[in-house]
Amino acid sequence: MLKIKGLVKKYGRFTAVNDLNLNVPKGEIYGFVGPNGAGKTTTMKIICGLMAADRGEIYVNDIDVIKNVRKAKEVIGYMPDFFGVYDNLKVTEYLDFYASIYKINAKDRKKICDDLLELVDLQDKRDAYVDSLSRGMKQRLCLARSLVHNPELLVLDEPASGMDPRARVEMKEILRTLKDLGKTIIISSHILPELSELCTSIGIIDRGKIVISGTVDEIMQQVYSKRFIKIKLRGKIAEGIKVLQEKPFATSIREGEDFIEAGFEGNEEEMAMLLKELVMRDIPVISFGQMDGNLEDVFMKVTKGDEA
Amino acid sequence: MRINPVLQKELKIRMRGWRAAGMIGVYLIFMALTASFAMIMSMGGYYRSTIDPELAIGSYTGLAVMQFVLISFISPALTTGAISGEREKQTLDLLLCTRMTPLSIVIGKLFASISQIVLLIIASLPIFSIVFMFGGISVIELLELFGFFIIIAITFGSIGIFYSSYFKRTTAANVLAYGTIAFLCFGTIFLTVLYLGITHDYDFKGVFPLLYANPIVGFASILWEQFRGGNMNFFPGLIIGNTTAAGYISPWIINLLFNIALSIVLMILSANKINPLKKGHRGRFFLSRRGKK
Repeated sequence: MLKIKGLVKKYGRFTAVNDLNLNVPKGEIYGFVGPNGAGKTTTMKIICGLMAADRGEIYVNDIDVIKNVRKAKEVIGYMPDFFGVYDNLKVTEYLDFYASIYKINAKDRKKICDDLLELVDLQDKRDAYVDSLSRGMKQRLCLARSLVHNPELLVLDEPASGMDPRARVEMKEILRTLKDLGKTIIISSHILPELSELCTSIGIIDRGKIVISGTVDEIMQQVYSKRFIKIKLRGKIAEGIKVLQEKPFATSIREGEDFIEAGFEGNEEEMAMLLKELVMRDIPVISFGQMDGNLEDVFMKVTKGDEA
Repeated sequence: MRINPVLQKELKIRMRGWRAAGMIGVYLIFMALTASFAMIMSMGGYYRSTIDPELAIGSYTGLAVMQFVLISFISPALTTGAISGEREKQTLDLLLCTRMTPLSIVIGKLFASISQIVLLIIASLPIFSIVFMFGGISVIELLELFGFFIIIAITFGSIGIFYSSYFKRTTAANVLAYGTIAFLCFGTIFLTVLYLGITHDYDFKGVFPLLYANPIVGFASILWEQFRGGNMNFFPGLIIGNTTAAGYISPWIINLLFNIALSIVLMILSANKINPLKKGHRGRFFLSRRGKK
């Protein structure tokens, strides 16, 4: 769906995007992570035709964005990190205005607006003035605005910034629904745990280059070269640790109050055998599982600890 | 026919609330006061038993001058915030990421402002129609004048849009737009007089070329010709009304053509300025950049 080859953007002597390559397949939610000034917003703006690239190629659904930006804009929906709304314009009028830009006829526009307001749960605000909405509502409305022309690729720059936890959860649900509808989404955010939950793939950008890209699991494996397991026990912690110490695939064993954490370099069969052995030795296992990757740790490691 | 979406939206926003109605109200009050004042002045304090076309000319001139002054002030005021306001409100990117071209955005913005001016002009028609009671001015001449006003409004509006697209702040755009209009109205006269003074060419016949760019000259010449005035030597470099001379083209026609050409150029430059994909986007020189890349 989205292919970027050798993208370069310079501001004077500062290189904001440096030979960036990216490939996002259709239907993915791709998380774009990087410290401030890493080139996320610049890359997103170039994808959306809001900034000229110095070099490189971008294809959205096989449309060359650099050469045919107007056509590309018809399949791209963009939500910027900062945006405003118009005064004296109602919610439905706001959506209707953007829909009219895409030459959608008035009858279809009404249906589209209704559907989008339902999607972002703003039906009860349809006659409210857009400038009277809360920040979270404005962000949902802006997301609806980016969808008026039914784009195939959504480019969302920090869509949940400044939202309260509830609004963030709601936004996440909307994005999952959009994924189910077949949309490809590229999203940047500073809230890394949320990205790891939401995104099917993640790319970490630093100094204008993608330093690592793939699914969260793949990234974990690339960075740490092993998985981590967490075993919660009802007592017999010491015995549990002893079992793990006997296994060559268990490393970096760490004892908690009622759990054990360890690095795991074996395969899934060995993992199953380990659980079986713990149970056979009468160690009371409450839970046994692979730990979710900690994207923040990965981020700090690959970006050399720059600010997220 | 499809209406420009920006124009449609702007009209909706602008006509909502008391601001638009208030503006029309204040405008008409000014025009009505001017008509009354002009009539009183034309009557000259003595009683006339017959209807005098001079009264019509006095009222018409007074109203036309007031309309010209008001349009000169209102047109840039309505457009200097058109693009910079979108930037200030952070809504410009939302427009530019759509399939709309920068030129259609600029045209939509400009014509939304011009529509308001046209509305003011039409609203002032009943006041202008007073002159028909006295005769001396035809409907065609009145429409001719209104057409001239609309072109002037487009020109001054284009100047406002141009600065609005070049400067992030509306205040800066305002100052420069009014400065440019002041230059066109008075600066050109000053430069003409200065040039003719330096070259001692006090017998310059006709209209000095620079003055064709002057909207006041265009306005004065259209009124003068409507009053069927003869040769008039306003000052060195501005002799108008010699309609019988060979090759004479009314200054207001040349001024009109100049205004149309200037408006087109300014609209194209404005569209080029807000086009994010333009090569060598030097606009950043004027615009403060956010730290985030």
